[in-house]
Amino acid sequence: MIELRNVWRLYRMGDETINALAGIDLEISQGEFISIVGPSGSGKSTLLNIIGGLDSPTTGTVVVDGQNLSKASDRELSLYRNKKVGFVFQTFNLQPTYTALENVALPLVFAKVPLRKRNEIARDTLETVELAERLGHTPGQLSGGERQRVAIARALVNDPRILLADEPTGNLDSRTSELIVELLQRLSKERGITMLLVTHEMMIAEHANRVIHMLDGRIARSTERK
Amino acid sequence: MTIRDLLRNAFSNLRRRKLRSFLTIFAVVIGAALVSLLVSLGVGAQEFLTAQIRATMPPDVLMVGSNPNAFQIGFGAMGFGGSPEEITDDEGSPYSLAPLTPQEIESVRALEHVERVDPYIMVSADSVRLQNSEKRFRTQLTALPDYLITSKELVAGRYLNDDSQGECIIANQYLESFNFDRAEDALGQEVVIQVGQITSFIGLPTKTKDYTFEIVGVAEKTLSSTQIMISIEDGKEIARFWANEPELYTDEVPPAILQVKVEDSQYADQVAEAVEDLDLGALTSADVLGLVGDIFTIIQAVLSVFGLIALGVASLGIINTLIMAIYERTREIGVMKAVGASQGTVRRLFTTEGAAIGFLGGVIGVAIGYGLGFIINQVSHSTFLADFETFNISVFPWWLIVGVIALSTLIALLAALYPAHRASRLDPIEALRYE
Repeated sequence: MIELRNVWRLYRMGDETINALAGIDLEISQGEFISIVGPSGSGKSTLLNIIGGLDSPTTGTVVVDGQNLSKASDRELSLYRNKKVGFVFQTFNLQPTYTALENVALPLVFAKVPLRKRNEIARDTLETVELAERLGHTPGQLSGGERQRVAIARALVNDPRILLADEPTGNLDSRTSELIVELLQRLSKERGITMLLVTHEMMIAEHANRVIHMLDGRIARSTERK
Repeated sequence: MTIRDLLRNAFSNLRRRKLRSFLTIFAVVIGAALVSLLVSLGVGAQEFLTAQIRATMPPDVLMVGSNPNAFQIGFGAMGFGGSPEEITDDEGSPYSLAPLTPQEIESVRALEHVERVDPYIMVSADSVRLQNSEKRFRTQLTALPDYLITSKELVAGRYLNDDSQGECIIANQYLESFNFDRAEDALGQEVVIQVGQITSFIGLPTKTKDYTFEIVGVAEKTLSSTQIMISIEDGKEIARFWANEPELYTDEVPPAILQVKVEDSQYADQVAEAVEDLDLGALTSADVLGLVGDIFTIIQAVLSVFGLIALGVASLGIINTLIMAIYERTREIGVMKAVGASQGTVRRLFTTEGAAIGFLGGVIGVAIGYGLGFIINQVSHSTFLADFETFNISVFPWWLIVGVIALSTLIALLAALYPAHRASRLDPIEALRYE
């Protein structure tokens, strides 16, 4: 499903070169729930962004579902992000002026789905995250947990194969965090979505079948569970 | 992203920042209103002049002169714009006209589609007065074939025909000069027209002769405010005295210029070419209108420069507004890219927003220009243009309305290209982290 071969990602910062990723080899199968943990600056987010097609490796190959992302054009990558992956962010990144329904429907706008049809799909998706009664609210009128559920619905709306969550519970209290992770876990199981979850809270990471520990741009160790 | 969604997004973004959108659009409004109003004034003047030319020179009439260069009325011949024209034949000055020969007149008459040939009568009168009055007025005496006389509108009386003798039609403005309250009062009155013979030396006593005409018609008000129309036959007689040439307009001294009526206006150019093949000069109303059109194109271009400058300044406002919008919406752009917007889509989002500003500004601007033009027309009709009911100073043809809206939309779209390019190149990862 996801295959990374000797992936390097270098950043220039003034005179210094930073190895955000330093030779990553990784294989992930369909439907896996993976947590990525490690200290800040260890390359967790960079790894996620490269798998999500938001960033490209300096060297190495990334193949997802048979598609070589390292050689894809902007158009191909944007199509890939639109159809194959969904992103969930720590800061939710909802459009502040859009209603919950409009936020969830946003990926469908770029997929050229007509208004009526995409509102229908977005409403159904908001039901899966149990927010059907909040669809007319703007993010400012929603609680943190509700906002993250809207963001998860947005990530799900195009029926993606992969869901990438970068510290999705970082801005939430522990009880809400628990609920969000359980939701992700349920979705992964029910829909067979491959889930990659970046976190630095071990409590959260425990929910995965595999925990990848990163350090200085490398995979330090990988533990299988259950 | 569909065009519908692009438009929906553009207009909803404009609604988000109402004051800023209003100010940005307002600058476009000023430019569009200026361009449309100024051009509409040019169009109005052009339409008026065109109508005046049509009245004296209908499309089915052409002038024929003995000199092939007789009617060179291009900018070069007028002495401005273009380099001095070379004179390549021995005809000399385009203003010197020898009489046509009877053979030449016959061959013009024999051309296909020519309906009628008349001499173009040149005559000049010193003054006109009412029979029983000593108050004299200036006048422009014009002898015309009947088909040209009947093309004018009368407010009272009847037309002349070619056999009329001692009858005339006076310009509307004479009603006031002669103190007639109603046009009908002038009918049947007699005027005395004094003609002075051309003298070759200024200072010699001038021989004059009085001709008496009965007023049978009063023309509608036109720019020809001193015109008195008489028949061709009367004209010939006066011209012979005026030019001191008793044989003028006979085979002895034929006319130098002919008025040629063709069967239909569609044959005018064809006949003009045939005339030029006879080595004579020809002038159609299309030639004159073409020149007027050229002049007005220049006038309109000059007038619209002010509006275009305003539109140019407005485009700076658009660039500024959109660059501000990029900073404001950096995260939103990042999100859009993360969920599947390509660089092209982001670029289109911003160019559409710019075009929307231009379109709204153009529509409102043209509406304001139209409104101002309407007010100008109303005011002018109730004051100095009271007698020219059919003349509007400001005229908005459909192409002006569509053109100005299209122009402001295009200028705004071009202004949006740079901000759109910048927005499209945002790195999504940095954009998502942007505070």
